[in-house]
Amino acid sequence: MKKSIITTVKTVLLACLMTAFNSCSDFLDREPDRIFDDEQVFADPALIQSVLANFYGRVMWGQHINDSYQYTILDEAGKSDGGPDNIQDYSNTLWRVYDYELIRNINQFLEGLRASSALEEGDKLAYEGEARFLRAWVYFNMCRGMGGMPIVGDEVFDYEVGMDVTALQYPRSTEAGLYDYIISECDAIAEFLSDQPTINAARANRWAALMLKARAAIYAGSLANYNNKMPSPIRTAGGEVGIPAELTEGYYQTALTTAEDIINNSPYQLNMTQPGNLERNFYEALSVKVSNSEVIWARDHIYPGAGQQTGFTRVNIPGSHAEDIDRAYAGPILNLVEAFEYTDDRDGTIHIRDAGGDYIFYDNLEDAFANKDARLGGSVIVPGAFFKGEPVILQAGQKIWNNGSWQTRTSQPGDEDDEGRLITSTNGPNNSNEQFINKTGFFFRKFLDEAQGASTRGRNSEMWFPRLRFAEALMIASEAALELGQQSVALDYLNQIRERAGIQPLESMTLDDIIRERRVEFAFEDHRYWDLKRWRRAHLVWNGVQNNPTATQYALFPYLVVAPGTPNDGKYVFDRRPFSNSPFPRFFQLRNYYNFIDLAWQNANPRIVLNPFQ
Amino acid sequence: MIMKKIWIVLLPLALMAGGCGFDNYDEPQSKLFGRVTYNGEALGVRGTGEAVQLQLYQDGYELRNPIPVYVAQDGTFEATLFDGEYKLVTRDNNGPWVNDRDTTVVDLRGTTNVDIEVTPYFTLSDVSLALNGNALSASFQIDQVVEDGAVDYAMILVSKTAFVDDVVYIVREDLSDPEVGTAVTQSVDLSGNGDFNAGAPLFARVGVRPVGKDQAIYSQVVKLR
Repeated sequence: MKKSIITTVKTVLLACLMTAFNSCSDFLDREPDRIFDDEQVFADPALIQSVLANFYGRVMWGQHINDSYQYTILDEAGKSDGGPDNIQDYSNTLWRVYDYELIRNINQFLEGLRASSALEEGDKLAYEGEARFLRAWVYFNMCRGMGGMPIVGDEVFDYEVGMDVTALQYPRSTEAGLYDYIISECDAIAEFLSDQPTINAARANRWAALMLKARAAIYAGSLANYNNKMPSPIRTAGGEVGIPAELTEGYYQTALTTAEDIINNSPYQLNMTQPGNLERNFYEALSVKVSNSEVIWARDHIYPGAGQQTGFTRVNIPGSHAEDIDRAYAGPILNLVEAFEYTDDRDGTIHIRDAGGDYIFYDNLEDAFANKDARLGGSVIVPGAFFKGEPVILQAGQKIWNNGSWQTRTSQPGDEDDEGRLITSTNGPNNSNEQFINKTGFFFRKFLDEAQGASTRGRNSEMWFPRLRFAEALMIASEAALELGQQSVALDYLNQIRERAGIQPLESMTLDDIIRERRVEFAFEDHRYWDLKRWRRAHLVWNGVQNNPTATQYALFPYLVVAPGTPNDGKYVFDRRPFSNSPFPRFFQLRNYYNFIDLAWQNANPRIVLNPFQ
Repeated sequence: MIMKKIWIVLLPLALMAGGCGFDNYDEPQSKLFGRVTYNGEALGVRGTGEAVQLQLYQDGYELRNPIPVYVAQDGTFEATLFDGEYKLVTRDNNGPWVNDRDTTVVDLRGTTNVDIEVTPYFTLSDVSLALNGNALSASFQIDQVVEDGAVDYAMILVSKTAFVDDVVYIVREDLSDPEVGTAVTQSVDLSGNGDFNAGAPLFARVGVRPVGKDQAIYSQVVKLR
């Protein structure tokens, strides 16, 4: 009996509760306060701007300073962090970009913006220009990886259940067609955009649009040129990959006139803030935002508050300069260092042995790098170079002269011998599987932030990542002029770059000079891989052959000479050695010239054809 | 009361056990074996790194993704599949042969053998590889098959495992312009090699790379010691 009373009470209670919630008031029908609809966004200039800011934050691809590992897979830097990286082949999807979500979002933005009445006509056009610039940038990043991809124009697609999706299935554009589209978009928006530099070069202006146009044209021109010179050109039947040879000259001409427009009419120039110190000057051209006259468009990492900063300085800083536990994740390799010329000698090999095969002795560590291209000091911290006013000591150990032969002595980082002389530096380099010690013999300087606290986990660095800068306009103009047979024009532009670097001007040139100049000028700036691809050189440079000097990574180990009683005591010698943390040569195969198309995309859209070798 | 508690334990167990068995397929059991051949002879290729692939397509399903079939270094391949009718093709531009994407229809019931006939740019004949003191003496002949094919380079490769190709090797000697149609002899000095001096097992073969192709043609692997 008792039990049933409880049950009755429960039932009544339940019924009451249910009634309480089953209310007719609209208490629960709330307008969402975290989602704005189109009407609200496009009625408010501040909201419109923040949508655009979102797009700017979504266009970081390829090599960049937020992911140091990506620098170590080519021939610019090596990974010092932990044990060896057994990379050899390149992935079929390396740096592949396929972001139709972003393109759709930009098209939604354009649709709303054009209908908006919250902005002046001129401001509307400026916003439209920026949005279309970013869309062209997305297409450009897709195109250089995969070739022609579907061009969807301004259309915003909507899907309803049951609709016929074949209307949404766009075929791939030809490779030439997509470059043409990028070029025409840049042309169309150039007039909408301001011709003044923007704060920290964070937003696109007219010159950024023209730079992208020039870059697209030089890429298309060199692809049309060099792909068709291969023994068996890489192309698809429909031209989705492969640009016809007869388009070569037109693209080079577009590249030349556009680059010359930037050179002659833009407010930018080669940075020359430190004419008395060209190394410092080159560092400031890339890595200092204040009064920078060279960078046209960059990904800025400044932000009110935490979140947008980059960890590049923190993870790569030399141990002797570290402000937190992180340090020495990666460092440039000898291959890159030797690509920099001497001021009077085009062979950049570091002189470590004399003609008789004996060591060359240097009084100071940094003397081995004297008279080098000033860009070396601006891009790489060599042993003994100064960073933030303190020398960066890189010393692998001691070379001890013992009964007519050299013996190598190494130690735990920072240990000294009985006479108080350093054996192995805390910075390294060494051969080990340890973390936090250098293994290549060099540190990054380009993009390494000198600001106080920039290498701490709490603060990180506000270093920007320049994407488009004036020097590239000169290099594009030089390359295009060279290919069009205007040797003297090409030399004039190239020598401007070389003069700023403090190296001798050239009197004649070939494509190999362009390749080399771009390699050292744009180290760590996401050019090398794409350049070697468009010239169809990547499979020759990274041919996968062991001990091939261009495919294998090398390190340079400095040693202190211990030979009491001889004049060489206390001097330094260097050993060149294969980089222990990358035992295999780089192997770029023909299939790597174009990313593979994901089969899921083809399943969703049968009109997408696959790339060669797939 | 105890009985009720047992139900609390038993019910989830019953639910878990009850899920299996009805709607699943058995795993595929049929075997497709095959070789990539020219004139009935299997062709040596690079067997590591999934370098040479064939593709199997099966019609009648919603998705069209091919099944990759990896060719081993002796030119054989195998795949474990469901019974059915498949279309077998070479991968586009992949392999040291003339690119030909004609399909071979394979009707698979139980175990099936299939040969894929291709036209390599070259073949290798009269290959002899032997240790001679501290050196490897190699002699072979490159025979032209396709008239407009040109040799990029030939290579003599030594490895310490049975896998030998242009990526897996300890000694490699490249011949940049070898004669075609006559015997090529070459001696490769091994005395400076650590694995050779340590007495490791050694395997060798020769390869020839046609101009503009992504892969080389190899002879079959020879165990040197």
